[in-house]
Amino acid sequence: MDLAFTTEQEAFRRDLKSWLAANLARPWNDEIRNPSHDENSLVEVRRAWQRQLNDAGYLGMGWPAEWGGRGASVVEQAILEEELWRADAPQVPNFLGIDLLGPALIHHGSEEQRRRFIPKMLAADEIWCQGFSEPGSGSDLASLSTRAEPDGEHFRITGQKVWTTFGPWSDWIFVLARTDAEDRYGGITFFLVPIDQPGVEVRSIRQITGESEFGETFFDGALARREHIVGKIGEGWRIAMTVLGYERGVQTMAYPARFEGYLSDVIEGVRRNGTLGRADVREKLARLIVENQVMRSNGLRTLANLAAGESPGPESSIEKIFWSEYAKRQSETALDLLGPQAQLTTEARHARPDMDWAREFLWARAGTIYSGSSEIQRNIIAKRVLRMPTK
Amino acid sequence: MQFELDEDRSLLKQQTRDLLERESGSEAARAVMEQAPEGYDKALHATLAELGYLALALPEEAGGMGAVSLAAVMHEMGRTAFPGPYLDVLLASRALHDAGAEAHGLRDRVVAGEALCVLARRETLDDLSSTELTASCADGRLEATKQLVPFGAHADAVLVETREGLAICERPAAGWEANAQPTLDHAQRFAELRLSGPAQLVAGGDPARGILETVDRLAALSAAAQLLGLSERALELTLAYTAEREAFGVPIASFQALQHRCADMLLQTESARSAVYRAAWALDHEPAAADELVAVAKAWAGPAARSVCGEAIQLHGGVGFTWEYDPHLFFKRANTLEQFHGSTRQQLEAVLQARGL
Repeated sequence: MDLAFTTEQEAFRRDLKSWLAANLARPWNDEIRNPSHDENSLVEVRRAWQRQLNDAGYLGMGWPAEWGGRGASVVEQAILEEELWRADAPQVPNFLGIDLLGPALIHHGSEEQRRRFIPKMLAADEIWCQGFSEPGSGSDLASLSTRAEPDGEHFRITGQKVWTTFGPWSDWIFVLARTDAEDRYGGITFFLVPIDQPGVEVRSIRQITGESEFGETFFDGALARREHIVGKIGEGWRIAMTVLGYERGVQTMAYPARFEGYLSDVIEGVRRNGTLGRADVREKLARLIVENQVMRSNGLRTLANLAAGESPGPESSIEKIFWSEYAKRQSETALDLLGPQAQLTTEARHARPDMDWAREFLWARAGTIYSGSSEIQRNIIAKRVLRMPTK
Repeated sequence: MQFELDEDRSLLKQQTRDLLERESGSEAARAVMEQAPEGYDKALHATLAELGYLALALPEEAGGMGAVSLAAVMHEMGRTAFPGPYLDVLLASRALHDAGAEAHGLRDRVVAGEALCVLARRETLDDLSSTELTASCADGRLEATKQLVPFGAHADAVLVETREGLAICERPAAGWEANAQPTLDHAQRFAELRLSGPAQLVAGGDPARGILETVDRLAALSAAAQLLGLSERALELTLAYTAEREAFGVPIASFQALQHRCADMLLQTESARSAVYRAAWALDHEPAAADELVAVAKAWAGPAARSVCGEAIQLHGGVGFTWEYDPHLFFKRANTLEQFHGSTRQQLEAVLQARGL
């Protein structure tokens, strides 16, 4: 057993922290409280931040140098994600492109595609969104019905995608569409589709938070070029499933770092309201600390296994359930311990200055639904880890 | 970075598993529980001594192997719901070691399996009331009444926490009254000890506190590791049973209602594994973080095991409530270990203390 970071990894962390201290103008918490910002200008803040990170070589770090990477290990990528949360940096707007499409292109794309798309993706010149889920195909994604029909040098795509995060600000969308109605998995193909064309319409969906970060995308004979198919026709499902796996490992330290930050606001709050000495408060606070530390232990274990060359397995379902269910418990406890003040939105008088619990509390409801709901994760654990029989 | 045990430690873990499966399977454990008044298999205790297992909690220079090895062995003990005073003896041996030369004679006999010595500390029957210790050892004479002393009725000696420090009391001809205190864990043996007689103070005030802090850390880690083993095995039993048991013409393991509960059992168990081994590693390599991480491990593993072992009874259905099937052995031990060696309540407080809160 060895859970220590190497001296090189520690040096990477030190350099990164000093880079963040020198380059991050304002923490995200300050940006969202700036009354002169609106949803659009906040996206521009995020775009500018992505360019800073990219110029410093912190994006796509695990990719080959040719594609903007530095062949960094998964441990260094995990350290990056952890420190970005600790510094309260804005989330880059192209996270779906970088986390999902980037690896898909590196591993399954053509040389042409990599050259055409990766540099602009990293520089935030083209923002990407993901077209996987459909109104009728969420947890059962392979039942998707958006279809793609050949038309000369193109395919024509018809159907509807939903929960396209960042859709309203995106230039391109990567789409799973059906090229064979009969073959459930082998009939799915991975297309890259420009959004600015007559056959594509993006509509915002208003979330329970009041924001419209995601949308729904309608395709009515939209054109996708043949050379913009990733992999071969019919390989879309396999590619999508492998890239969803890449998403997991590097975030493994980010969640506990994020929740540790939120915890400090709860601690500050109960100190200030003079209830830290109460037995019921102490017990609830301690449980939050314990669970977050256990989450970090799970993360270190995953990271150690990845560093040892193991690929992220179905055990990542445990982490998904853990962090998303914890987010609910943490924000519920925060509202309980901090009282109605924690329900105030950022523009309210006397809102808590360092933490937007109102938004976090509502957002926590999404975490157990997206990227495979808690129920789907339990199915995965039962079938692929515990090998429990199907009927 | 590497989470898996190194070669030596996984060998130790495997050897322990082989030994316990051979010598202390479910049937042997039941025989001890039902027939042995002293609550353990004396021959097996001697074997453990012979193989060096009783030195496991000592510092490495004295024959121990570090916290990760301790956790690995305890993990295996948990998997068989191993009955007997094994952990209690390890803790006493460590305290005797740390108490210095005067206590090393008894330490050696304990580690050799020639004497059974346990710690006698508790005076209250709950964890909430805080009262001053009443036990005293003055002028070589001990006056003490201690509650829930593990295997106290059959110990050859006890190391008693008194107002003045730690005192060795070897079982005298008179002045040693043991009143059995059976608990819901039928395989464990506890006793109230009323002691009045000669004793030897081996560590006073501050040194005694330091010794007990070390012992508390090792106790919490060891209990957490056993709780991990209990959960792991209870889940295995449940998966085997539900795969075999049929209802409505299919194995009940194919029902989603059961699958989701088993998935949650795995989440709790695997998280306990991460927490326990990280805490053990910290004790060996990152002492500044160890206090918090050990408390975290115990505070997670205890409730997790209670829940997982309880679910094992539930998912076994009616037979889960019978004496004949094994889940109750795990459920009972989970409750013992959750409450002893620093209860969850105490560990939660320790987590806050470790952060200066």
